[in-house]
Amino acid sequence: MMERAMEQLNVQLNRLTRSLRRARTVELPEDNETAVYTLMPMVMADQHRSVSELLLNSKFDVNYAFGRVKRSLLHIAANCGSVECLVLLLKRGANPNYQDISGCTPLHLAARNGQKKCMGRLLEYNADVNICNNEGLTAIHWLAVNGRTELLHDLVQHVSNVDVEDAMGQTALHVACQNGHKTTVLCLLDSGADINRPNVSGATPLYFACSHGQRDTAQILLLRGAKYLPDKNGVTPLDLCVQGGYGETCEILIQHHGRLFQTLIQMTQNDDLKENMLRQVLEHVSQQNDSNYQRILTSLAEVATTNGHKLLSLSSNYEAQMKSLLRIVRLFCHVFRLGPSSPNTGIDLGYNGNKTPRSQVFKPLELLWHSLDEWLVLISTELDRKCGDTDSSPGSDIASLILKQREADPSIVADTPDLLSSSLDPETPEAYVDGQDVISMTANRLSAVIQAFYMCCSCQMPQGMTSPRFIEFVCKQDEVLKCFVTRNPKIIFNHFHFLLECPELMSRFMHIIKGQPFKDRCEWFYEHLLAGQPDSDMVHRPVSENDILLIHRESIFRSSCEVVSKFTNEKLKQGIAVRFHGEEGMGQGVVREWFDILSNEIINPDYALFTQSADGTTFQPNSNSSVNPDHLNYFRFAGQILGLALYHRQLVNIYFTRSFYKHILGIPVNYQDVSSIDPEYAKNLQWILDNDISDLGLELTFSVETDVFGAMEEVPLKPGGSGIQVTQDNKDEYVQLVTELRMTRAIQPQINAFLQGFHTFIPPSLIQLFDEYELELLLSGMPEIDVLDWKRNTEYTSGFDLEEPVIQWFWEVVDGLTQEERVLLLQFVTGSSRVPHGGFAFLMGGSGLQKFTIAAVPYTSNLLPTSSTCINMLKLPEYPSKDVLRDRLLVALHCGSYGYTMA
Amino acid sequence: MSETYDFLFKFLVIGSAGTGKSCLLHQFIENKFKQDSNHTIGVEFGSRVVNVGGKTVKLQIWDTAGQERFRSVTRSYYRGAAGALLVYDITSRETYNALTNWLTDARTLASPNIVIILCGNKKDLDADREVTFLEASRFAQENELMFLETSALTGENVEEGFLKCARTILNKIESGELDPERMGSGIQYGDASLRQLRQPRGSAAQNKQQCNC
Repeated sequence: MMERAMEQLNVQLNRLTRSLRRARTVELPEDNETAVYTLMPMVMADQHRSVSELLLNSKFDVNYAFGRVKRSLLHIAANCGSVECLVLLLKRGANPNYQDISGCTPLHLAARNGQKKCMGRLLEYNADVNICNNEGLTAIHWLAVNGRTELLHDLVQHVSNVDVEDAMGQTALHVACQNGHKTTVLCLLDSGADINRPNVSGATPLYFACSHGQRDTAQILLLRGAKYLPDKNGVTPLDLCVQGGYGETCEILIQHHGRLFQTLIQMTQNDDLKENMLRQVLEHVSQQNDSNYQRILTSLAEVATTNGHKLLSLSSNYEAQMKSLLRIVRLFCHVFRLGPSSPNTGIDLGYNGNKTPRSQVFKPLELLWHSLDEWLVLISTELDRKCGDTDSSPGSDIASLILKQREADPSIVADTPDLLSSSLDPETPEAYVDGQDVISMTANRLSAVIQAFYMCCSCQMPQGMTSPRFIEFVCKQDEVLKCFVTRNPKIIFNHFHFLLECPELMSRFMHIIKGQPFKDRCEWFYEHLLAGQPDSDMVHRPVSENDILLIHRESIFRSSCEVVSKFTNEKLKQGIAVRFHGEEGMGQGVVREWFDILSNEIINPDYALFTQSADGTTFQPNSNSSVNPDHLNYFRFAGQILGLALYHRQLVNIYFTRSFYKHILGIPVNYQDVSSIDPEYAKNLQWILDNDISDLGLELTFSVETDVFGAMEEVPLKPGGSGIQVTQDNKDEYVQLVTELRMTRAIQPQINAFLQGFHTFIPPSLIQLFDEYELELLLSGMPEIDVLDWKRNTEYTSGFDLEEPVIQWFWEVVDGLTQEERVLLLQFVTGSSRVPHGGFAFLMGGSGLQKFTIAAVPYTSNLLPTSSTCINMLKLPEYPSKDVLRDRLLVALHCGSYGYTMA
Repeated sequence: MSETYDFLFKFLVIGSAGTGKSCLLHQFIENKFKQDSNHTIGVEFGSRVVNVGGKTVKLQIWDTAGQERFRSVTRSYYRGAAGALLVYDITSRETYNALTNWLTDARTLASPNIVIILCGNKKDLDADREVTFLEASRFAQENELMFLETSALTGENVEEGFLKCARTILNKIESGELDPERMGSGIQYGDASLRQLRQPRGSAAQNKQQCNC
């Protein structure tokens, strides 16, 4: 009895020590649910001794399923790769084919996670490899997805059907192909997988490989004789490759199915495909070898030729056909410019019978250019005939009348020609009307072909040079082209982009272009300026901190100069993000403020870079700026900043003199421009011109005295000028020279430096679309703030509307503000002190147009108005009276309009 | 996705003004007669996919202006044509007399292998006939042309005209007389031979998301 008690005590003591030593219970609880949670962590860590110990003598059901997904401990072991526990559980009778809530067996989990040993043991214990989970996936699917070839190799011997389908009809081969696991694909094929098996939507293994650009896998499949099959929607593997821009995979497909080459070329006409993807594919295929390069270009040229001819057919859809033609020509020019893969053989080798010279590829297009020429000759004949007819103007009126009648009622046509033909000579009215039609109906189409012609001509030339052939063409067709653009000036903006690249041609059309609305020219300007700039969105978040211009507010000029010089022009063109040191604010508003303050600093008299005009409102370079030894660098910087501002449609806070705008535009100045810097002197020049100076005894010579920091210097206007008298006969020359001296020569180095900076962002050929007044508008916006326009273009949110008394007071207060205070208010809310040209309707926000907005904020005592400059929003507390509103607003304007914090 | 066909043939329709070339094209493509027909300006374009001898062929048809002043423009379209319909009006001897000129143009400007079919159009206006069938068929024989009388109004023989021409070209390809690979043949391969559409069109393809955990 005693012994027995002792023994029991010993056992208990033993248990106690064991438990204490291992820091856990040593006995499994009776209830399965509690027991399983004791065992699970041990199984996960593969503590098989402990598990075995606990299971011994316990009534625990090893197949007990628990948790949300109802898995057994065997699942856990297989999932975690706990081999010893797995074996232990199997030995204790765990069911190897037990399925959890999603139908997964332990084998599925082991396969999914690549637990090789577990898989082996499960198979030893007769785990069924053919079991599907609820989605129809088997263990080999899991292995194929992850490319576990070695494991698959072991498993596949046990599999009865390697082509077992999941719910989507996908086999292991499909998923292996999609993920590009080469060895897995080979293993499956060797095990007898069906290489052409379609899934429910008809997608074959090759289709899957192509859909993800798995080049090597596609190669394997094709070598093993995979058929080229479309899916049920007719989407082919090639379609998929082009959609994804998988050039290498396309190349493989074409290697195996030569005719796909033509299909690929024809796809350039398919509007649904993205051009950049097509470009990538063509680029790759063309770079494989010289013969591919030649073939692609020749075929593209042929397609372009057919397309061009279709465009010239009046019944075709102009928009669609024009876009298609220009797209193909763009692709063609892109591939041509790349050059053949081995450049040496690409140089003209016409003497070598086997090689075609590189320019041969343009040959098919000659047919189109020939047709273009014939059309233009025809138009020119029509024009001549029209000129001959100008005397019989009543005839043309009648003719156009007939045209209208005809449109209205076709039945009239039968009688009218007879009626009128007697009164009209020599042409019948019908032919005449027809002639007018030819020009107006074909102008757009021919112009688009001309644009294509220009692109093809210039891609054979070094960048920035115009092809002599094209110049000759324009000169020859001058009359017809001018007729086109006079009838329809839009043609210039739509198709005559070549003008912007060839100043020599631009001059021919300048008078017509200048006659077009400012708005259209602006659009053209920016369209061309931003061409090839994929993301012109200023406020796109910079990828890295390095892309932010970090500016010190207190030394804004110098720090901006330093920071900007560290950035490449390309980067600055892509977008600007500015942050002031020690401030959090970033975004459109901060960028605007930066331009605003910086431009103010540029004209700061302390730097002596710019001087004020006579009336103090405008500026131009200071002829004595060399007091600052670094002045030319600063002028270059100023030019850069202005160019950059214009590039990103930002307004600056400077108004220049007329003459300086002219300098930017490259327009010569005249003596009247002098009045902006010296009105009195301009009057005197005017007087000299207006009066006979012969007998006045002015004793003027062709030289002037200039004050250079207190010392008088004599500057000759032309070589030996101080010895030449100004007379009645040469006074015009004198005035011109003296004007140039005051306005240009005195500041020539400064102007040159400024323009050097300006032209890094704005090409000279583009800026000349505008005159000096428009340039001011573009750079600096509208000088006056029009409250009525402001009020008209303001929106209200969060409960405010125009009827609200607070809003009424607000506008009354604004009406009573001075011009400067209104500027402050504008700056407070928008970050800029300028109204864009066109007025408040064109106020820009972070993402496009963003009107001035007033939002309601509940009023608490002493609360000031706040703003969100990115969205041009004024947050106005609902003040109890107009006086409080005025008071608080002015406090905010005078104290709080600088600096940003995150509200 | 693009149309499926085995070959693409470029066709021309030529002949004097007012012979009904555009109406023939219209009838062939839309099976309709165009009542209020104007003079064609320059060159017009139309296409249709047809089945000839078990092959699908896309006919790309260029309908030219008959008026003299467009002659220079239309001439530039001759190159690379595989077949041509040479059209005259059976009620107008003038248009018949001009055939020699048109034929010379076609023979000199187009590919030497061009297949030409002569079409005496406006067959429906038999009462006003100025050119007999016999006379025209003799002309066709002398110049190695195929010949048909057509009516764009009723549609009689229009389809036959185009198909006959296409069939002859196809025969020439199969006999090896014509080589589609040669530049300027006016013939292109389509990619139909590669496509083996197995099942009728169904629902859109869906790539199932596989779990990689």
